[in-house]
Amino acid sequence: MSNVQTKSQLASAISSEVMIEIIEMNKWYGDFHVLKDIDLTVRKGERIVVCGPSGSGKSTLIRCINALEEHQEGTITVDGILLGKNLKNLDHIRAEVGMVFQNFNLFPHLTIRENLTLGPIWVRKMGKVEANEIAMKYLERVKIPEQADKYPGQLSGGQQQRVAIARSLCMSPKIMLFDEPTSALDPEMIKEVLDVMVDLADTGMTMIVVTHEMGFAKTIADEVIFMDEGDIVERNNPDAFFDNPEHERTQQFLSQIL
Amino acid sequence: MTIVRAQKTPDRTPPLSETSILGWMQKNLFSSFFNSILTIITLYIVYITVSGIYIWGIADATFVAENRRECYNNSLTGACWAGVIDWFDNIFYGRYPREEIWRVNFGGLLLVLWMAPLWISKVKGKIFIGISVILFYPFLAGYLFSGGEKGLFMQVMVSGAIIAFIANMLNVLTSRIKGQSLSKFLISLFRQSNASDKSQRNLILGVLVISFAAVFFWQTGWSLEGVVWTKWGGMFLTLVISGVGIAASMPLGVFLALGRQSKLPVVKVLSTSFIEVFRSVPLITVLFMATTMFPLFMPEGFVLNKLVQVILAIILFNACYMAENVRAGLQAIPKGQSEGAHTIGLSYWGTMGLIIMPQALKHMIPNIVGNFIGLLKNTTLVSIIGLFDILGMLRSISKDAPWIGLHKEPLIFGAIIFFIVCFSMSKYSRHLEVKLSAGNKH
Repeated sequence: MSNVQTKSQLASAISSEVMIEIIEMNKWYGDFHVLKDIDLTVRKGERIVVCGPSGSGKSTLIRCINALEEHQEGTITVDGILLGKNLKNLDHIRAEVGMVFQNFNLFPHLTIRENLTLGPIWVRKMGKVEANEIAMKYLERVKIPEQADKYPGQLSGGQQQRVAIARSLCMSPKIMLFDEPTSALDPEMIKEVLDVMVDLADTGMTMIVVTHEMGFAKTIADEVIFMDEGDIVERNNPDAFFDNPEHERTQQFLSQIL
Repeated sequence: MTIVRAQKTPDRTPPLSETSILGWMQKNLFSSFFNSILTIITLYIVYITVSGIYIWGIADATFVAENRRECYNNSLTGACWAGVIDWFDNIFYGRYPREEIWRVNFGGLLLVLWMAPLWISKVKGKIFIGISVILFYPFLAGYLFSGGEKGLFMQVMVSGAIIAFIANMLNVLTSRIKGQSLSKFLISLFRQSNASDKSQRNLILGVLVISFAAVFFWQTGWSLEGVVWTKWGGMFLTLVISGVGIAASMPLGVFLALGRQSKLPVVKVLSTSFIEVFRSVPLITVLFMATTMFPLFMPEGFVLNKLVQVILAIILFNACYMAENVRAGLQAIPKGQSEGAHTIGLSYWGTMGLIIMPQALKHMIPNIVGNFIGLLKNTTLVSIIGLFDILGMLRSISKDAPWIGLHKEPLIFGAIIFFIVCFSMSKYSRHLEVKLSAGNKH
């Protein structure tokens, strides 16, 4: 694809180790061709923002990376493990890849503390005390330790999303995926969630973020990817992407949202 | 002018029509001429019904008599409750030997005592109480009711049940008095609170083994007189059949529902066809099949008693309805919940057991209780294939020489008993629903 630009020099925080490698990946929903010949390499520490109009396949792309969706052609390699029909790999990869959803998907019947310790206790087989320490550490990091014993339904949307981020972090994942994390939030709550994400980016976490928050993209992204109708149309560093979009479809999209 | 009212307006009392009884009656019963007439007619109908029932059932009724003739001599227009009272033990225990009836009562009492801590606040480890009831109580009760020689397996299970029961009772005491569970209390009693997890576990294990050995040795010293199942009957039999049916069809129903949603085609087709076949056949057919055709498929010389056949049939039949209830509950849980569970690496069974089922159960409670009530009432069908459950007992009163032809009173008495049991169950389910939904608001 001629209009995909590969940046040769990236910021110093990024190592040369490859975390995610997607080669010639295709996905269909029935007859509908959602993702077309996707090639994408993400290195350790790299922060990538994916944007594009709705229905362009950006959510599906990141859902394929932690195998919530199955792809039909091509290969996806995450942290050296090839995703495929082998079910044993699946739980292992999912534990290494954290994901934050648009609708939080917290467990409403458990307290915040229980939401956070569930993974460490049942998947990582930790003791209760140790799991609790980890949970409190990350709750403090997202700045709501005082809410630990409430139920998700008692928290505001922004707080719930921060809990969701902390829940993923408790599994000490190698990669974090964000699927429109601020789209379901009231405007005054978006900032508190983005602040947490910026903090996280500063720690050197490998992140792929699907979002329409262009200010956020400019601040943290090493690269911005623009998708349309299942294609990766353009890939560039944020300055070049926003100031100087090359493809016509990118220009059109940016003119509509900026 | 911008300020509309500077002073705060004081609250005034509402008009009389909102607070007094007369006001309420005027609004709800006599709001128009037509409504007033309807109210009066309805009140009249209620009056003649209630007074009729009162005169027949209480005022003119006979409570003490030797036979039906005496009832008639006493009053022609009243009920003859004497027959029901005379058969009281039969209605509740069937032909269970009279001097052994304490075993049935004791079994019931044990169940109540065993389960009661589930409803007491501040008791620790309620999950273990639930598991111990399901795991051990059926064996203990089974032996209490049927008696006879204990096989090795029965000896182990009965000893286990006794220990589980005693531990459960002690656990209630330590939780209420000391505020800690029995195991924590034991650990601190032996001053092992700071020891490692492993040595604490060994301590508990040691206590269990020693007490098991003691109880096992003790129970070899006695046994109960055998009572053949054909002597079981009445309300007791009804409760045994429906109790076992409910307890066993619940887990089976969960597996059938999961099987129906499975991605594996063979499991899916098998579960679906099993459910659909059993749901499209009346229970009485299933019961006949179980008692007449089932033995044909068994190897020669293998005889299963009729009660077991009936219970198996009811379990299979009810599990299908339970499966559909569970499926409805599962579908009420948004897909995001299982996705959220997957992203923290929980396996299929972890997701089901920790995330989906606990939430789905709340949606299922009204349906499950409805199903239980239905099953309890359906159980009376076994009287058709020759088991003397409560309905069978009530109907045989009319064939007993002194009470020949006495149909009405026993059946009404049965209806009252069923109403009391079923109505309290449905009331309790309503209460449970409110309580659970108050616990975690979405």
